[in-house]
Amino acid sequence: MSDPETITDAASLAEIDRLIHEPARLSLVALLYVIESADFTFLMNQTGLTWGNLSAHMSKLEEAGYIEVEKTFKGKRPNTLLRLTVKGREAFQGYRQKMKQVLDELPE
Amino acid sequence: MTQKLNLKEIERKAFRSTFQDGLWDIYLGLVVIFMALFLFRPDEGYSPWNLLLMLVGFGTSFLIFWAGKKFITVPRMGQVSFGPLRKRKATTLAIIMGVVIIIQVAVVLFSVGGWLDDDLAAKLNALLGEANLERMAVAAVGSLFVGPSMILVAYFSDFPRGYYIAILMTAAVFLMILLNQPIYAIIIGALIILPGLVLFIRFLQKYPLPKRGDS
Repeated sequence: MSDPETITDAASLAEIDRLIHEPARLSLVALLYVIESADFTFLMNQTGLTWGNLSAHMSKLEEAGYIEVEKTFKGKRPNTLLRLTVKGREAFQGYRQKMKQVLDELPE
Repeated sequence: MTQKLNLKEIERKAFRSTFQDGLWDIYLGLVVIFMALFLFRPDEGYSPWNLLLMLVGFGTSFLIFWAGKKFITVPRMGQVSFGPLRKRKATTLAIIMGVVIIIQVAVVLFSVGGWLDDDLAAKLNALLGEANLERMAVAAVGSLFVGPSMILVAYFSDFPRGYYIAILMTAAVFLMILLNQPIYAIIIGALIILPGLVLFIRFLQKYPLPKRGDS
């Protein structure tokens, strides 16, 4: 017979938001959670991601509705500002709670 | 994932990274030097030119700071807007600094009024006695204007180097008035600028201009 608690823990793990759980996206979402908005260059410098990687992760987060992209111009240069949406904030809060719960439930 | 996700530390690290360019140090050091060069001319006496040139110097310092941020820092480091906590702190700092400036202006006006009044001036002279003590009192009041204000800026701006700058600025004003010489303030201004220049060069090496046109 399997332990019911173990089954519950495993189920909790399956409920983790995988979109946020990926390390690069987690660092991006965590950073965007504590600031209001930032452009690509700032996010690249803070997370250490390359342009291509950052762009790919941002696209996934944008598709999920977790971030919004605001395209403006600084003089003649295009400038892309990124910020977390309400849905993204809620998803990150949910992710934190779930992770805390899962890790707290783990046996020593 | 074994490391704890410390959101406060992530925010603080991101915020403090905006001070990595050393431009604040360069700006404040220049302010001290311009103050020493133009405001203090004991042999020639004060003239409106002293004040005017000092304000031009302050304006030039700020122009260097602004242009550095706009044309060097932001294109390399990127643009960021911080959350409500930082905005609240900035507002609190602005209010406190406003009150501090009002108090400072009131102290200056009362002092000038006091010295212009013959009876009060005589009493103050009797109280302070020697000229050295009088100068010491003026130096202490002058440095009290600068030191606490800069400490408040450092605290509310989460700018640890600001405390070091506050001590140096206080010493600059105190020595400039007490020893009747601007050279000490100029040297101290250079001591504030020097770490700023080192940080600025490191910043340029660490953050080259991104190759993509879109930021």
